[in-house]
Amino acid sequence: MATRAVTVSRPRPHGRGWSMGARAIVHGVWIAQRHFLRNLWGFIRRKPTVFTVSFPEQRLTQPNAFRGMPVLVQMDNGKERCVACGLCEWACPTDCITIFPAETADEIERFPQVFDIDMSRCMYCGLCEEACPEEAIVMSQNVEIAAFSREGTLWHKQDLLVPVDKLTDTRLQHVRRSYDR
Amino acid sequence: MPTITIDGQTIEAPNGAMLLPVALENGVHIPHYCWHPKLSIDGSCRMCQVEVEGSPKLVIACNMPIRDGMVVRTNTPAVQNTRRGVMELLLVNHPLDCPICDKAGECLLQDYSYAYGSRHTRTEEPRRKLEKRKDIGPRMVLDQERCILCRRCVRFCREITGTNELGVFNLGDHSVLDVMDGAPLANDYSINTADICPVGALESKDFHHKLRVWFLKKTPSVCPSCSNGCNVTVHHYRDRVWRMMPRRNDAVNETWMCDHGRLNYQFVNSPDRLRQPLLRRNGQLEACDWESAVAEAAHRLHHAVRTAGATTVGAIASPHLTNEEQFRFAQVLQTLGVANVDVAVVIGQSDHLLVKAEKAANARGARDMGLRPAGDGLGLSAMLEAAANGTLQVLYVCGADLAKLVDPQLLERALAQIECLIVQDTIRSPLAERAHIVLPSLTFAEKTGTFTNHAGRVQQVHQAVNPPEGQPSDGEIFSRLLNHLSEGHSTFVPEGVLKEIGEAVPAYAGITFARVGPMGWMVTDAAPAPGAGA
Repeated sequence: MATRAVTVSRPRPHGRGWSMGARAIVHGVWIAQRHFLRNLWGFIRRKPTVFTVSFPEQRLTQPNAFRGMPVLVQMDNGKERCVACGLCEWACPTDCITIFPAETADEIERFPQVFDIDMSRCMYCGLCEEACPEEAIVMSQNVEIAAFSREGTLWHKQDLLVPVDKLTDTRLQHVRRSYDR
Repeated sequence: MPTITIDGQTIEAPNGAMLLPVALENGVHIPHYCWHPKLSIDGSCRMCQVEVEGSPKLVIACNMPIRDGMVVRTNTPAVQNTRRGVMELLLVNHPLDCPICDKAGECLLQDYSYAYGSRHTRTEEPRRKLEKRKDIGPRMVLDQERCILCRRCVRFCREITGTNELGVFNLGDHSVLDVMDGAPLANDYSINTADICPVGALESKDFHHKLRVWFLKKTPSVCPSCSNGCNVTVHHYRDRVWRMMPRRNDAVNETWMCDHGRLNYQFVNSPDRLRQPLLRRNGQLEACDWESAVAEAAHRLHHAVRTAGATTVGAIASPHLTNEEQFRFAQVLQTLGVANVDVAVVIGQSDHLLVKAEKAANARGARDMGLRPAGDGLGLSAMLEAAANGTLQVLYVCGADLAKLVDPQLLERALAQIECLIVQDTIRSPLAERAHIVLPSLTFAEKTGTFTNHAGRVQQVHQAVNPPEGQPSDGEIFSRLLNHLSEGHSTFVPEGVLKEIGEAVPAYAGITFARVGPMGWMVTDAAPAPGAGA
C-alpha cells in the first residue's frame, strides 16, 4: 500500500500575545474589580451583598452536617449522657480521647469520672459520634480551640458539656438520620 | 485408642474422653458456655451441639463420650441453625448492658453472638426485670439479669471450694442465680467466679467500672503473694497494674488463684513508692543521685569489714527478689566475706487449695542462692540481738517484712544502736525512715527474672510496667555494689545471671529462660530446701 502524507492541524501549545496570558490577566482584573465595586456599592448602601462576615463579631450558623469539635450531651438533670463505655476512645484515630469510668448510685450506674479530649489532636472526623451507642458525644459547630498554652487545648468534661435541647433539633437529628438510628 | 473424625480431620483420642475437650485440643473450636476444663459437666447451655453420624438428633459435645469410628461434623446447616436458635433464646432476657458491662470485650455471649447469632432480635416482649448490682459478698457483685444460668459458678463453689454459697433458685423461666440467705459469697477464692462467668453477671468489685478490658495489655507473670507461685497474667495499662488474672498451669494452680493474691497488686501503683535514693546527712534523709548512694553503701560495708571484721556486718535478704538478684546479692556478701545473712519471710495462714504459709514468692530461691546463715553466721533475731549489743555495726535490709517478724522492742533496741542501716525497699516504711541509706527497689511487675516456688518449680516473671526512667533494678544495684567492692565491670542481664546460677548452684544446673518457659522448670533436687515452711 502506498504511503500518503496527511496534514493535521494542532493548536500551538503556547500562544503569543493575546492568547498567551494577557487575556487571563484582563479576566482576573475584571473579576477583582467586579467584587470590589459590588462590595463598595454594598458598603455605601450599608447593605452588603457579598458573602463576607466580620468574624469574630459576626458568626455563621452552619448546616447540621457540619463537623466541628466533638461535645458531650448534657441531660436535663445536668449530668452527662455518657456512660464511659470507651467506644469513642477506641474508635478515635488520633487517640485524643481519655476516659476513666466510675460508679454512681444512680439508675445508670456508670459515668465518666474523667473525660478529656485533646483538641490539638482531634481532626473532627466524627468517628466518636458514629461509635457512640448512647448519642452522648456529637460533633458541634464550634471550631475555636485557640489557647495560650498546650494545657488549654485539653478540654475536660465540664468544658465539653452542652445541654441536650441545644442539640436535639440540630446535630442529634442529623446523626439519627445519617446513621439510620 | 479410639479414632474419630471431626470435620474430616482424623483424631486419636484417649478412651473415655468427651468430645468437646478432644475437639478443642485439636484446634476445632466448638462454642460452649457451661463446660469448663476444671469443673464437672453440666450440659445446661446447649451451645456445643454437633452432628454425629448415626445419631438421629444433634448431641451436646461436652457430654458425648468418644467412640471408635465416630464421625462428627461441627459446621453443618443444622448445627448453625441450632446455634443461632440457642443464641436467640439466651438473648431473650439478656439486657443491653454492653456499654456499661465490665465483661464487654471478653464476654463469650458477645463473641458468640457476633460469630453465630443473628443480627436482629425478633422479640418485642419486655425483658425480665431482676436485681442488678446485688451485693453478694465482700469482693463480688451480682447482676441477675445478665446471668445465662450456665452454673459454672455454682459448680465452682460446690466442687472447688466446697462452700456451696451460690445456687440457682426457682424453676424454668423463673430461674435465678443467687446466694443463700445470710451466707454471702465470701470464700477466699470468690473472684474466680468472675473469671469463669461467661457473661458479666458476676463481677469483681475491685475491677468494677475501672477500665475497658480492651485497653489492657497482658504480661505473663507469677503471683508474688505466697510461696505457691500461682501463674498469673498481669493486666496493665499506662504503666499501672489494673488487675491480675490466673493463668492456667495444671502443675501449680490449675486455673485458679486466691482473692488475697489477686488483690495484692496495689503496692505497684502506690504513690508512696520510693523512687529516689536517700542518704542521711546531718540527721535528715535527703534525696541523692544513684551513683553516690551506691558508692556510699559500698564504702560503709567495705569500711566496717576492713576495720571491725566481717562479723560486724549483717544482711537480711528479701524473699520478694528474683533468683538472679538473690544470686548477685549473695555474690556481694561473698566478696565481703559476710556470713551473717538470713531471709525474712512472713509466715501466715495456709489452706488446702493454693495458699501457702510463706507469704513471699521467692523465699526458697533466696535460700537456694545461698542467702541463709552458713557456718557460724547469725540468723535473723541473733543478728538483731548482736546489733542491740553493739557488736553488729552495719545492717543491710532488703524489704521491710522484718518489722512484721521480730519483736518490736528488739528491733527498736537494734535500730537505736546500729551504726549504719541500709534499707532497700519498694515503699516508704517506718524502717526506711530510720535508715542511713535508702535504695529504692522494683516490684515483680517491673522486672524480668525467675522465682522458685515452695516445691522447687522455677517460674518466670516478665516486666509488665516500666519503672521511671533511670531507676535500676535490684539486681543492677547489687551489680554496681559488686563493681565498687571488687572493681569489676559486671552488669545485670537476667539471662546472663541465670546462666551463672546454672553453673554455680548444682540444683539449678543447666537452667535457661527457654527451659523455664511459660510453665516452669523443676530444680534437680525436688525436696524442699531446709527451713522452708509448708
